[in-house]
Amino acid sequence: MKRLLFALFCLLSLTARASEPVATTADATESENFNPGEMILHHIGDSHEWHWFTLGETHYTTYLPVIAYRAGNGLSVFSSHELAEGKVHEGLKLEHEHLVSEDGSKVYDFSITKNVASLMLSALVLLVVFTAVARGYAKRGTGAPRGIQSFFEPIIVFVRDEVAKKSIGPKYERYMPYLLTVFFFIWFNNLMGLMPGGANLTGNIAVTMMLALFTLLITLFSSNKNYWAHIFATPGVPKLLLPIMIPVELIGVFVKPFSLMVRLFANITAGHIVTLSFISLIFIFRNLGVAPVSLAFGLFINVLELLVAILQAYIFTLLTAMYIGGAVEDHHDADYQMGGGDGATPAQVH
Amino acid sequence: MASPAKPTDPNNNNPDRLRAVARYSGIGVQMAATIGLSTWAGYWLDKHFQTETPWFTLGLMLLGLFAALYNVIRAVSNGE
Repeated sequence: MKRLLFALFCLLSLTARASEPVATTADATESENFNPGEMILHHIGDSHEWHWFTLGETHYTTYLPVIAYRAGNGLSVFSSHELAEGKVHEGLKLEHEHLVSEDGSKVYDFSITKNVASLMLSALVLLVVFTAVARGYAKRGTGAPRGIQSFFEPIIVFVRDEVAKKSIGPKYERYMPYLLTVFFFIWFNNLMGLMPGGANLTGNIAVTMMLALFTLLITLFSSNKNYWAHIFATPGVPKLLLPIMIPVELIGVFVKPFSLMVRLFANITAGHIVTLSFISLIFIFRNLGVAPVSLAFGLFINVLELLVAILQAYIFTLLTAMYIGGAVEDHHDADYQMGGGDGATPAQVH
Repeated sequence: MASPAKPTDPNNNNPDRLRAVARYSGIGVQMAATIGLSTWAGYWLDKHFQTETPWFTLGLMLLGLFAALYNVIRAVSNGE
């Protein structure tokens, strides 16, 4: 079954060649029903090996290291090749991509999975690209940018001027490293996830949770007394209502990063699912006539995902900047609107 | 004629419109997340304490609804 699924994955990720080996797959699936749901969930999930594609009967797979810790047995490090196709190695086996021990004891899985490998790869790409950009500035100063530097300069300036300055205000400079990192990290990983054979890193809720957690921590640690005064003594609210307002405000603090986490995860995962669903139509109908239509739709969604990739990076960065801006703001515009009563000046357009 | 955005109009240029789209879609997701998260918390509490009537679910759902509306109203009336 697993080999069969792998054969299907490769066909699905190599859309351009899908028409060629369709006949063999159709023969192979004759006995087993094609399960698009299982295929899609497997495709967007994490795994212990990195399967690239299959030609005929040969699988092209990179086996990644498995690093597991068990209280009794200590650390075991071996290649995930030892676990391929349900094999058992050192008392460990894979069950639905989860590393479990045969005797049922607890396993702490620190493996370099597909997502971890992809994360390391993207970190490397980001380092190479941005050290090249930084070298350009070190060499040419404020002169005209050249090469890769001239591609990234407008984007960096956009993040600085349109995102950071407008949302955070005069104190924007100390948050630029985080905002730029998070923007390019999400953008690069979204794009790498769209490549054939790429891992679905930004569509993994653990990854988006860590990003959202960083945003929450930075917001909390850079907050001033206005921010907390607004939560624990909302201006213009009678004292009797405070027991209700404090939980409401506290919910707001945690919901903001939570919505960041869910949005990025949901958008990227949904994009992958929709693309794969369109491609699956060929195998569901087992009809070559469906292929042009579903490929056209699949391609359309894939191109749309290119836009979503940068849009989601922008939204995450912008909302992060807004949350930070709300925490470092000296004067709350909302104060008088909530009934503070001192009127003062109308809302400023930042 | 059909081009609404003059480049001289500071409130109608592209980055600002994109910003507004991102901001308001953020408010929407936040509203959904507030209600969802508080309802889930109430559901979990009801399960944990094995209450006969799901008071936690009811109470926290209503609180979440109130918090969501309050935060939306505050966010959209916040100028910016």
